[in-house]
Amino acid sequence: MAAVTLSTKPAASVIDLEGVSIGYGKDAPPVLVDVDLSVERGSFVAIVGPSGVGKSTLLRVVAGLHTARGGKVTIHQDQRPGHRPVGLVFQDSRLLPWRRVIRNVEFGLEGLPVSRDERRRRAEAALKLVRLEGYAGRWPYELSGGQRQRIGIARAMAVDPDILLMDEPFGALDAITRHNLQDELRRIHQETGKTVLFVTHDLEEAVHLADRIIVLGGTPARVVRDVRNSAGRDGSVFRDQVEQLRSEIADNYSI
Amino acid sequence: MKTRNKIALSALGVIVFLLMWEALARSGVVPARLLPSPSAVPAAFLTEFRSGTWQQMVLASLSHYLVGLGLGTLLGVSFGTAAALWGRWDAFQAWVVRMLRPIPAIAWIPFAIIWFGVSEGAASFLISLTVFWINYYASYAAVRAVDKDLIELGYAFGQGGLIPRLFKIVLPGALPGILSGVRAGLGQGWMTVVAAELFGISGLGMRMMEASGLLATNIVVLYMVTIALLYGVSDFLFMQIQSRVLSWQR
Repeated sequence: MAAVTLSTKPAASVIDLEGVSIGYGKDAPPVLVDVDLSVERGSFVAIVGPSGVGKSTLLRVVAGLHTARGGKVTIHQDQRPGHRPVGLVFQDSRLLPWRRVIRNVEFGLEGLPVSRDERRRRAEAALKLVRLEGYAGRWPYELSGGQRQRIGIARAMAVDPDILLMDEPFGALDAITRHNLQDELRRIHQETGKTVLFVTHDLEEAVHLADRIIVLGGTPARVVRDVRNSAGRDGSVFRDQVEQLRSEIADNYSI
Repeated sequence: MKTRNKIALSALGVIVFLLMWEALARSGVVPARLLPSPSAVPAAFLTEFRSGTWQQMVLASLSHYLVGLGLGTLLGVSFGTAAALWGRWDAFQAWVVRMLRPIPAIAWIPFAIIWFGVSEGAASFLISLTVFWINYYASYAAVRAVDKDLIELGYAFGQGGLIPRLFKIVLPGALPGILSGVRAGLGQGWMTVVAAELFGISGLGMRMMEASGLLATNIVVLYMVTIALLYGVSDFLFMQIQSRVLSWQR
């Protein structure tokens, strides 16, 4: 069994996975094996693969919510006070319905050595980052699906994480909202330089957002492709480049 | 339906009920001693009020009620929450609960008298028993039903320890269900007040027993109405608080 190791030694990568394998039951066969992955600081890495391949579970392992069956998971943490190593964004936003927006954004800061004023200031800055500064006093039920996801992103960004983990965050949104939020996320990534590990089953989304795409496939699944994507990086996505990458990755999907 | 129409209809319902009752009592079909007319109640109230009996009985019952309600609610919510949170504790107490649960509060009257005497404590004890079980089960179910995803959210953001998990996620998440239990206990508590006082502890129930012994049925009805009003007021006040506390709900 492998838990997450937090390391404060300086490193070029934020996360190192070495030979990680994942399974659900004690005796059930593993779903994901031999995952080696280094995520460089400041990069935007997408993990794609068919559903059931274990991509969300891999993310949950990094977040410390699921224990890997074997291998080693290391997060290289910055030595700055008042932050958490990971900030997690869920597909279903998971706002606490009994807290107003601002208190939801403050949630992850509670328990950190951060004064009340500092907490509020950071939550307000995070709301501003997702362009919802006017929504601090709202209840979650008063928000649209897209706004709820933005608050989820603000909550994760407020803890100033070493890495932002996103589990199909736009999967449940309509196409227009999804595209808007994809653009927002690119902007946030460029503005803050945060390292992002992004799980999606949508190749187009991965190509559009990430500068590196990890493809999982097979039974049990393993990393079948590790692609550097120059298309998304500078913000101008060239159609043919996307198509080429898409077909290249799609070939691996059926493995 | 508009709120105004709703209020008007409820008022109409009460008036029709009282008129039919009055008509039945006056028709002579039922002897006046067996069924007093509602119009006889105000006179009974004035007599009881002038002598100070009414106030004394209401205050006595209120004190039994509030102590029993407070204690039963607190313990019921605590034990119900604990059983829902910890599987081992749940298993340990499951059969004890099954054995004790079906015994009605009234069945404890002999023990209440032996332990507390014919005293305020005995009445409060019986009320708290009734209220305890309602809150125990309501809290148990409410805590069990808290969204597991929100608990996971707590772990993801460093709030997975017992205290933050309990106070930031479990209890707020279970609050609507817990408050429904408190409200049900509020009503059941009043029912037990009367039963607990029937054996001579000063209060509304005792006064009703005295009056029925003298066939003063109008006084019996007066205290029935008093209980109904007290319940109505406490339930209304509780609803006001509840809607405030749960204003985050759609």
